[in-house]
Amino acid sequence: MSTDYLAQAARDVPSLRAVFVTAMPDCLLYDSWLAEGSEWKAEEIASYLGDLFRANREGLKALGSWSTEMQVSIESPEYNILLKELRSDFVLACVFDRDAALGMARLYTQRMLQRIAAALPSFQVEERPRGVRVMDFLNRYAPDPHAVLLRVSLRTGLPMEQLQRPEALALDHIAQIEKTAAGILGLESLNI
Amino acid sequence: MQHIEQLLSALPEHDLTFLGSAPYVYHCHHFNLFHDQTVEDALGEDEAFSVRAQAAHDASRQLLSELVKSAGAETPAERLELAAATLPWMGHGKLELMTDAGGGRARGSYLHYGFTWREKYGSRVRRRHPADAFAAGYAAAATEVAFSLAPGSLRATEPACFACREPACEIEITEGGGHSDASLVDKEAFTQHVAAPAEGVEEAAVAKIAAGLKDFLRGLDGDERGLLQGFGVYVTRHLANYYDQTAYDTIHRVEKERPQVAGVVESLFGESGHVCVFYTFGGILASPEWEALVGPLRGEPEEIVVGCTAIARGLGFGHWTIGELVPGERLVMRSTSNYEAPFYRNRYGRSEKPRCYFFSNAARAFMQLAHKVDWSKRPRLDDALYQSLFKSDLAWDIEMTRCQTRGDALTEVVVTRHGS
Repeated sequence: MSTDYLAQAARDVPSLRAVFVTAMPDCLLYDSWLAEGSEWKAEEIASYLGDLFRANREGLKALGSWSTEMQVSIESPEYNILLKELRSDFVLACVFDRDAALGMARLYTQRMLQRIAAALPSFQVEERPRGVRVMDFLNRYAPDPHAVLLRVSLRTGLPMEQLQRPEALALDHIAQIEKTAAGILGLESLNI
Repeated sequence: MQHIEQLLSALPEHDLTFLGSAPYVYHCHHFNLFHDQTVEDALGEDEAFSVRAQAAHDASRQLLSELVKSAGAETPAERLELAAATLPWMGHGKLELMTDAGGGRARGSYLHYGFTWREKYGSRVRRRHPADAFAAGYAAAATEVAFSLAPGSLRATEPACFACREPACEIEITEGGGHSDASLVDKEAFTQHVAAPAEGVEEAAVAKIAAGLKDFLRGLDGDERGLLQGFGVYVTRHLANYYDQTAYDTIHRVEKERPQVAGVVESLFGESGHVCVFYTFGGILASPEWEALVGPLRGEPEEIVVGCTAIARGLGFGHWTIGELVPGERLVMRSTSNYEAPFYRNRYGRSEKPRCYFFSNAARAFMQLAHKVDWSKRPRLDDALYQSLFKSDLAWDIEMTRCQTRGDALTEVVVTRHGS
C-alpha cells in the first residue's frame, strides 16, 4: 500500500527505505511506502513500531518528561529508524539505511512529517473495543501464536466461540482475558 | 553408561522400547515444552507443577528402582551417583544430589525443561514460575530409592529456576509427598494392550528405514552439559509414562471440573503432535543423516508419509502403519501398538471415546508436511514456517475411527482434505 502523498513525500529522500504511518492507539497500519524491491510486511512492522512508540510515550509520561516533540531514534546494524508523532492519533516511522547521517535523517524526517501531516484526513478516532485490542496484543506477542486462542480458552474457561468474537465480550470476561494475557506474557498487567 | 544400557530392551515387533520395565520414547524440546505448557494452562502453574512432579516421581522411581538393583548399587552414595549419571544419558541435563533420608537439596545445570524454555522463549516472555518439575520429581524419587524409603515419602519443589533468569536451578526435597496410589504401567502391562503387528503400505521400506534410525538413535551421545542434540532439536530419551500420566490426568480433571473446555484441552494435547512432527520428524527428514540413511529427499507425498511412519517407529512410538494413502486426498494411519493406549487401559480402564491424541494429530501433521512443504528448497524448519503451516494453512481434518483406548483391536485415524 502506498498512496501519492507518501510517495511524493518520500521522493528524492536519500537512503530512505520505508515510511510507515501507524494509527494510534491501536497500532494499526494506516499507510506505508516501501522502497522498490522491499519484501517487508508493512502491517506487522507498523504495529510493532506503534507499540514501541506507545511504550516510550507512557514511560516518559511516568517520568514526567513527555512532550509531543519527543522523537525515538533506533540505530540498528543496518538501519537508522526515526519515530515521531504526527498527531495524537498517528505516528510516523522512517527507516533509513545505516549509512545515512543521523542529522540528515532527522532533517528529512521533519520535512516529510510536515508534508504527510498536511495530507492526513481529519476525523474522530474511534477506539476499537478493548477485547479486540487485548486479543490483537496477544496475537502479536504471545509465544506459539497458533495456539494462543486455545490457551486463553483453557485458562479462562471461556468457549472458543466467544473468544472468536472479542468485540462482543462482556466487561468481566475482558478483565479475565487481560489477566490471562498478562500471565501468558509474563507481565504484571497489560499496558494497552 | 554401562548400567543403563544393560537395562535397554524392546518389543521390537511392536516398535516399543523400554528401560527395564519402563517404556521410553524420544521427544524433542519443542514437544516437551508445549506438552507441559498445556498442563499449566489447564491446571494453573502451581497445581501443574505438582501434577508433573508427581508423574515424574512415579515414572522415575520405577526406572531407578530397577536400575540400582541391576547395577548392584547397595549404598545410598552409589545409588545417588547412579541416578545423577542417568539423567544426562536421558538428555535431561545434570543434577547434583545433596540429600539424605530426610530430604535435602539438588542443584541442576542445563536441566532440559528450564534450559530449553529459556532458549526458545526467554527473549520474548518473562517466566515467573519454575519449569523443571520433571527434574524435581526425579530428584525426589532418586532420594527415596537411594535411602530405601517408601514411595511418596518425599516431595520436591524448585525455588530457583534457570528459566526464571536465575543463575542455576535449585531443587528442595522435603518429607511428606504422600503415597501415590497409581498402578505401575510396565512392559508386562503394555503387552496386554497391543495387537499383533500388521503390515501396511510400503511395509518393507518403512521397516528398513525404522531399523536404520533405531541404530542411529541408540548411538546418540550426550554432550558435556548432559543434553542430547540432533536434527536441530534437543532430544530426550523420556519416560512415556510421564507424558501419559500428565496428559490423561489433566484431561480427566478438566472433563470433570470444567467440561465446557474439555475439547480445548484435547486440541492442545493434539497440537503437541503437530509440534513434534514438524520439528523432530521434519528435522530428521531434512538432516544429512537421513540422506546418508535413505538418500536425497525428493519431497513426494508418498516418500514423506513413508518416512514419517518409519521415524515414528524409530522413536519408539509404536508399530504405526500406512493403511491407505491417496496423495492430495486421504491418509489412513493405523497403529497396532503405541505408547498412549496401553497406559490408558492399564491406568483408567476402557474409555468411552477415542483418546490417542498424539497419534491422530501426528498423522494429520504427516499430510501437512507431505503436501505443504517444498522440500526441494531445503526449507528452514523455524517458528515462522510452523505458524504458516499450522496456524493459517492447516488443510486436513481427522477422525479417529478406531482406538485401542476404547477397546478396539487397533487404533486408526482417517485424515481427509479439509471440507472434502
